[in-house]
Amino acid sequence: MTDTRTLDQGNAPIRFARGWHCLGLAEDFRDGKPHPIEGFGTKLVVWADSQGELKVLDGFCRHMGGDLTQGEVKGDNIACPFHDWRWGGDGKCKEIPYARRVPLRARTQRYETAVRNGQLLIWNDPEGSAADHDLLPPELPDVMTDKYTPWSWHVKEINGSHCRELIDNVADMAHFYYVHFAFPTSFRNIFEGHTATQFMESKGRPDKGDGGYSGEDSMLRSEATYYGPSYMINWLEVDYKGFVTEVILINCHIPTGPESFRLQYGISVRKPEGLDEKSVDYIAEAYTKSFGDGFLQDVAIWENKVAVQNPLLCEEDGPVYQLRRWYEQFYTDVADIKPEMTDRFEFEVDTTKANEYWHAEVAENLARMAADGEHAHH
Amino acid sequence: MASFVPSSAETVEDQRLYTEERLVEVACLDCLASVRVKKNSEHQTSVQWSTEGRSHCQEFQRRGTGPGRRDLHKPCPRMMASIDDAVRAGDVPIGAYDGY
Ligand code: FES
Ligand SMILES: [Fe+2]
Repeated sequence: MTDTRTLDQGNAPIRFARGWHCLGLAEDFRDGKPHPIEGFGTKLVVWADSQGELKVLDGFCRHMGGDLTQGEVKGDNIACPFHDWRWGGDGKCKEIPYARRVPLRARTQRYETAVRNGQLLIWNDPEGSAADHDLLPPELPDVMTDKYTPWSWHVKEINGSHCRELIDNVADMAHFYYVHFAFPTSFRNIFEGHTATQFMESKGRPDKGDGGYSGEDSMLRSEATYYGPSYMINWLEVDYKGFVTEVILINCHIPTGPESFRLQYGISVRKPEGLDEKSVDYIAEAYTKSFGDGFLQDVAIWENKVAVQNPLLCEEDGPVYQLRRWYEQFYTDVADIKPEMTDRFEFEVDTTKANEYWHAEVAENLARMAADGEHAHH
Repeated sequence: MASFVPSSAETVEDQRLYTEERLVEVACLDCLASVRVKKNSEHQTSVQWSTEGRSHCQEFQRRGTGPGRRDLHKPCPRMMASIDDAVRAGDVPIGAYDGY
């Protein structure tokens, strides 16, 4: 018997989450070509039929395993490069040009699709249920009109981490100071049903330069909700030297394997009135870069940390266990979902104690930087 | 199907400790709803609703459940006031045991 605490790394789930997953901007798939997307431990093929409707199938042909992503779109169907079997978006083989009949069993894995806010989403369920359209993320009013800048969309492959690491951020108040260089001045969580929300107000740290959430002149009001296991809408009000900008940040991912995922983020900025196109573009670009940097700060942590099933918390920490209990619903058969996974849970973190300490630390850093600066001058 | 399987019994006990321990029942002063509350400090509050308590809350009923309603995330002000009262009355102990 020892009183040393051990890290329980547990076992990552062998299944992928049930729910809607975003594959990218819908427009990018409408060029008449098949597109490969790694996801759910396989490769998917995405294409647009003759009506421009987006279709998604498992990328490997059920005949002899040909790679459909290297095939061709013929009419409404995707044709395999190996023997030209034609697969429809409903998962059925429609035609085999060299055969009189199509085998009755010629059905492959299809994914139901939906387009929301200009993005393609697909429904994944290991139990094979029909897509639940009530669980889709909401439409964002005015986004995709000339009131907002078009989506600036970015993709980052993450290897060696389960995507739950990304979800953990929702409840992690303290990492905003250490990883993102901002003081969270107010922090709340609400988990309920298939949504998990984080409210945060923060102020950039003056001892860290601009970029990410840092910089003395930047203040942030952030409301971020996960709709299901993988798609978050983050409504941000960024106040930079008194100039307030509304930013919408989409943070979503697709698991690619048990220990890897593809992180995607998209940014759209409400165009401030009375500003010319050029300045608007400049602002949009600046925020895209700064929130992109924010993700990279997280990635550096994930790439080096280990999985932990038994985090040890202090009293200032956020509700990681409750958040994970909520997240578990997407990895459980529907019949086995426990009420506590979806019951409403509210949390408010006291940031006063942490902030007293953090402000003192920052003051020390600033004093040291000033002293170093003087040395350099003499 | 199991997922995120902890490899030790202590982990299961930790899960219970952090999610279930020290919760105190607080009833709403205005309706039939009740919740379970924990306070690690003066300004920190955890509120655990149940399906039943949630269905009794007048405020949540009034808001409806339309998809994409952002105000669904706001707490019920009556319940918050009831919790404040319970805290003032000393019914909800303030402070954590070793972080939970
Ligand atoms: S493998 Fe696809 S047509 Fe033969
Ligand atoms: Fe983060």
